[in-house]
Amino acid sequence: MFKKSHPLQSRSEIILRNIVVAVMVVFFTVFLIIPIGIAFAGSFHEWNPLSGTYKFLGLKNYIEVFSSGLFWKSMRNTVLFSVVVIVFRVGLGLAIACAIFSSLVKYKSFFRAVFYMPVVTPMVAVAFVWKFMYNPQIGTVNQILGLDVNWLMNPKTALIAVMIMTIWKDFGYAVVMYMAGLFSLPSDAMEAARVDGANGWQTFRYITLPLLRPMTLFVVITSIISYIQAYIQILIMTEGGPGTDTYLASYIIYDEAFVKYNFGYASALSFVLFVVTAAFTMLSFRVSGSEE
Amino acid sequence: MKKKLVAAIMATAMVATMLTGCSSSGEQSTSKADVPTEPFGDTIKYDPSVEINNGEDISVELWEWGSDELFQQVIDGYTAIHPNVSIKLVNNPWEDYWTKLPLALDGENGPALFNVHNSYHENMINYMAPLDIPLEDLEADFTGVAAHVIDDKVYYIDYGMMTGSVYYNKEMWKEAGLTDDDIPKTWDEMREVAKKLTIKDGDKLIQAGLNFNDSFHQNYLLGLNYQLGETLFEEDGKTPKLNSDAMKQTMQMLIDMYKVDGVGSENFGEKDSDSFGQGQSAMVIQWGHYYNTLKTTWSNIDFGVFEIPTFDGNPYAYNRYNGESTFGVNKNAPEDQQAVAQDFVKYFLANDEAQIAFNLAMSTFPAKKSLADNEEILANPSLSVLSEHIDRYIWPGPMPSTMETSLKTAGQEIFFNGVDIDKALDDAQANAIRDMQSSTFVSVENLYEHAE
Repeated sequence: MFKKSHPLQSRSEIILRNIVVAVMVVFFTVFLIIPIGIAFAGSFHEWNPLSGTYKFLGLKNYIEVFSSGLFWKSMRNTVLFSVVVIVFRVGLGLAIACAIFSSLVKYKSFFRAVFYMPVVTPMVAVAFVWKFMYNPQIGTVNQILGLDVNWLMNPKTALIAVMIMTIWKDFGYAVVMYMAGLFSLPSDAMEAARVDGANGWQTFRYITLPLLRPMTLFVVITSIISYIQAYIQILIMTEGGPGTDTYLASYIIYDEAFVKYNFGYASALSFVLFVVTAAFTMLSFRVSGSEE
Repeated sequence: MKKKLVAAIMATAMVATMLTGCSSSGEQSTSKADVPTEPFGDTIKYDPSVEINNGEDISVELWEWGSDELFQQVIDGYTAIHPNVSIKLVNNPWEDYWTKLPLALDGENGPALFNVHNSYHENMINYMAPLDIPLEDLEADFTGVAAHVIDDKVYYIDYGMMTGSVYYNKEMWKEAGLTDDDIPKTWDEMREVAKKLTIKDGDKLIQAGLNFNDSFHQNYLLGLNYQLGETLFEEDGKTPKLNSDAMKQTMQMLIDMYKVDGVGSENFGEKDSDSFGQGQSAMVIQWGHYYNTLKTTWSNIDFGVFEIPTFDGNPYAYNRYNGESTFGVNKNAPEDQQAVAQDFVKYFLANDEAQIAFNLAMSTFPAKKSLADNEEILANPSLSVLSEHIDRYIWPGPMPSTMETSLKTAGQEIFFNGVDIDKALDDAQANAIRDMQSSTFVSVENLYEHAE
């Protein structure tokens, strides 16, 4: 007779597992599930936690969200912002990762660190520096380009200026992720392509790119989640202006909750945004899955 | 030789110690002499001989968001009278203060005393105990008390009134050939002076004669309406009037200053206050706090101050003001701590020295009537320019922030996006109404002394 096999060898290991799992369950319940539940309930109320106001409104907050011109404007801005920044993040990240990965480039770790540096720099600091660079009087951007543009208060350039800063700050993340993907590619597939006479572009198009698809999906999905929540750069660089031209969905939530203390309306906005984020994420999975 | 050296060092040390001791005891005796023993104050009297907490030791906390030394001075003065009382000063930066404070006040261990800003009135008032001072005494000593009365009770008042004045660069003024006689009294004169102060290189602006970027909503739109006899709220005290004729006239004047007169530009200097400090703009309208900002941050700027111009020299009121508030007493604090807090507020209100120190530090005109012609106060030019017409400034009450933010958005729509005035101000009005629909705010404009 063989003793029934068990992945955990001893009683102490089982106790340890239970403790760790229990801690995580309690942690996520207290800091994630309960706050989300409170916010969800709050989205049906007129809610100001500072003054103690908490009156049931039914669906009024949601109706106001969908009938608000500013909400739809901010959603258009958010989609535009996310698509442009993600396209450049993925495109630049892939291109630079391939360039660094190339056998022609030495000091790979150095370049990887250089491109990753803006990613680990706090957004607040980066946004302040770029705001200074965009200054119409003394900013380096106008000085280098020989222009006289108020980048952050011109309705034609404000959102683009914020996008450029965000791309610069964030594409290093894609570089590092793609480099990890490139280093883990199976060498036999590359060798087989070479033996079959594939040139560099063909190898990239038909071997490298398809093999990197899981990494691309990961970068795109994490980017969608991240950019739909973007508001710090708006808060620091434009405060939503000129007028309301650079309002993003998350900036309205910040504005309603922490400036106007309108937590009920802000919670309703948050849940709408949660559904939008989930929909985009599922769409990305679906597109990726159908291609495979 | 070595012994002699050691002896000499010891002798020197002893003399030094004795001198230090003398100096220390001298200071102590001076500070003891400063401790008042007789009752002081105008109508509100503070009697230092009355024991607090039966002379037993007690500790309370006072929360504030800045100017620690100023608060500490008042605390030191109070605890010198009542050595059994210990007041711990707790500083939280402004950003954290308004989220931490309500949470603390909601519990049992919140501070007995806390600094108040009237912009957070709605969020704070439910935690405050009414002041234990007769209303008539408060009204006898301080202006603007009536605006703070809620059901015959007062929870805090203003110790000072802050408003906007014109700050001008004296060097630029002189270079433009202007003298003190050119100080404008009307907006037409102001526009002419601003033109003279403007310097251009072709079409390129080198020096703005007047800059109002980033402050037009606070320092012009929400104030000049009073000069034109228009209030900010309808008679119900709740409905804003952001698209009133007065608001449109003021906005048109601002546009004309930049687009017709060319004395500035929405693209020249992100913030008027910074642009003036950096020596790029000759004139700005700023509130009292700017006086100390210039003194500390841009001390190289030689500046003067004059009263805000008017449209016709005979305004309904000159401008809007806002009060700097006295301390709040936490109604959830233990009774003995509340008693100390009430006594501390009374000490603060009766103490002219503290009132002067706070008003000078904040550049606010004293609400305490007896200090209106105080020499120290009038030596500050940002306060002396207000003294003649201080009764002709209006406080609308603790307005919700949407009044400012909605007008800021409207101004940006007009200046940067080319939206016409009517449309932009109608949008601002609609936005403010939506934001204020659940607000308990009621304007106190009707309490203006010269209300028609």
